[in-house]
Amino acid sequence: MKIKHLFLVLTAIVLVLGCSSKEKTEKPKIAIVVSTLNNPWFVMLAESAAENARKLGYEAKIFDSQNNPAIESDNFENLISSGYDAILLNPTDSDGSISSILKAKTAGIPVFCMDREVNADDAATSQILSDNYSGCVAIGIEFVKELKEKGKYVEILGLVGDNNTWARSGGFHSVVDNFPNLKMVAQQSGNFDRTKAMEVLETIMQANPDIDAVFCGNDAMAMGAFQALQAAGKEYQVKIFGFDGAADVVEKIREKKIVATGMQFPKVMAQTAAQYADEYFKGRRDFPQRVPVEVELINASNIKDY
Amino acid sequence: MKKKYVYILAFLIIAILGYNSFYFKKLSDIKKAQKESFDFKAFADSIYYKGILKSKKTIALTDLISSIKANQEAAFKKYGNRLGIGNSDYFMIKSTGKIIDIKDGIYTIADEKNGVVFIDTKYIFGNDLRDASGLVKLTDFKTNAQFNKVSESLNKIVRNEIPKQTKNVKIGDSISFSGAIKLNKKQTLFTDLLIIPSQIKLQ
Repeated sequence: MKIKHLFLVLTAIVLVLGCSSKEKTEKPKIAIVVSTLNNPWFVMLAESAAENARKLGYEAKIFDSQNNPAIESDNFENLISSGYDAILLNPTDSDGSISSILKAKTAGIPVFCMDREVNADDAATSQILSDNYSGCVAIGIEFVKELKEKGKYVEILGLVGDNNTWARSGGFHSVVDNFPNLKMVAQQSGNFDRTKAMEVLETIMQANPDIDAVFCGNDAMAMGAFQALQAAGKEYQVKIFGFDGAADVVEKIREKKIVATGMQFPKVMAQTAAQYADEYFKGRRDFPQRVPVEVELINASNIKDY
Repeated sequence: MKKKYVYILAFLIIAILGYNSFYFKKLSDIKKAQKESFDFKAFADSIYYKGILKSKKTIALTDLISSIKANQEAAFKKYGNRLGIGNSDYFMIKSTGKIIDIKDGIYTIADEKNGVVFIDTKYIFGNDLRDASGLVKLTDFKTNAQFNKVSESLNKIVRNEIPKQTKNVKIGDSISFSGAIKLNKKQTLFTDLLIIPSQIKLQ
C-alpha cells in the first residue's frame, strides 16, 4: 500500500514538473485562420501574418477555411483543442464567423480579425480592417468623373456574406447614386473570384452589350472582367475599376487598361494583428475594437508612385 | 371518461402556456430594427449646426501650415484626426480669399495667405467632414456601416447647405470659408490644396 502511495506521489510530481517545464520551453502558438488560400491577396495576408508572428518569437501555422464557415468552425475546434494561444483571423462570414470567435473567447484565446469585419463588437479582441468605405468613395468620385456623369454600368460584388462587399458597394453608391444619368444595368456577385467574375460579366453582356463601365469589388474580379471584355473586343471601350491594389491591376492601370483601384495594405494589417497578439501575451487588454487602415486611390495621375 | 377530459384539459393548458412562453424572430429583423432605431439625420444635424459651424477648434489654414512646417508630428497630433492606421490626417480649417474661377463645382480661390486653393462644392462625399470635425468616435457605433451612415447624413446636409450659401457668389467675389482638408505626412508642399467645404460666406 505504501509503495502504491509513493508511486502516485512520484507520478504527480513528474506530471507537475513536466507541465511547468513545457510552459517554460514551448513558444506560444499563433494560428492564422484565413478565409481562402485560393486568392493571392489572402495568401499574402496569411503569410505576412505568420512571418510577423515568427519574427516576434512565436510558432505560427496557417489554416485555410476555403471560404466556408463550417471549415472555419472546424479549424477553430482543432486549434482550441491543440492549445493555440492566439488567433489572427480573416473571417469567412460577417455573421457566420461570430460563433467560432466566441468559442475561442470562452476558451480564453484572443482573436484578432484582419481585413474582414464581423457584426459584433464584443467577440473579437480587436478588428484591423481596411477602410473599404472611404476607399470606394474615392473610386466612386473617380468613376463619376471618368464617365462624365453618364452611362450604363455593371457592378460585380464580392461574397454577399462579407461586410467588405457591402462597405465597398456602399461607399461607391454613396457617390454614384447621386448622378441620375449613371444607370446600373446589373449587379451580381462574382464571389471575389476571377473566373466567376469573367463568367458573370460575359452573361450580363449578352443582355447588355452597350455598357460603359464595370465596378468590381476586388482586383481579382477586375482582372476577370478585363478578360471577359478582351474576349469581346471591348477592353478599350469599357472602363474597369477594381479594389485591392493587386500587382497585375496596378500594371494594367499603367498600361491604361484599367482605370483605378484602391490600394489596401494587407502587410500593415497582418503586422498590426501579430503585434497586438504579442502585446496581449505581455498583458495588454485595452485594444480598440476596430482599427481602420487607410486605402489609397491609384489611377493614371499617381501610378508612377506605385 | 372524466380522467380523459382532465388529461385533454391539462394538455391544452400546457400547450397554450408553452406556445405563449416563447417565440421566434429572425435575427436579421432584430438587427435591422436596432440599426434603424438610431436617427442618423438628427445626429448629423446636431454635428453640423451645433458642432462644426460653432467649433472653436477650426484652425486658420495659414497657422496650420506654419505649425506643420515647424513640427509636423506635433501639428498632426494637435490639429489632425485619424481614426486608425495611415499616413493622412483630416483637419478642419478656415481661411479667406478671392474666387478666380468656378468650374464644374470647383471654386479656385486666390487665398489671401496660402496661394491658390480649391474648394470642391460638388463631390462632398466620404468621411472628410466627419473625421476632420473630430466630433464622432468610432466606438460610438457598433459597426463601421453605422459609423459611415453618419458621414452620409452629414454630407447630405452640407450638399444642401452649400448651394444656399453660394447662390449669389460669382467670380471676383471675396469669401471666407471653412472645411475639411486631408494632408499626408509625406507631403512637403502645401499648394493646390483641396477643401471639402462646411461653410462658404460672402465677405
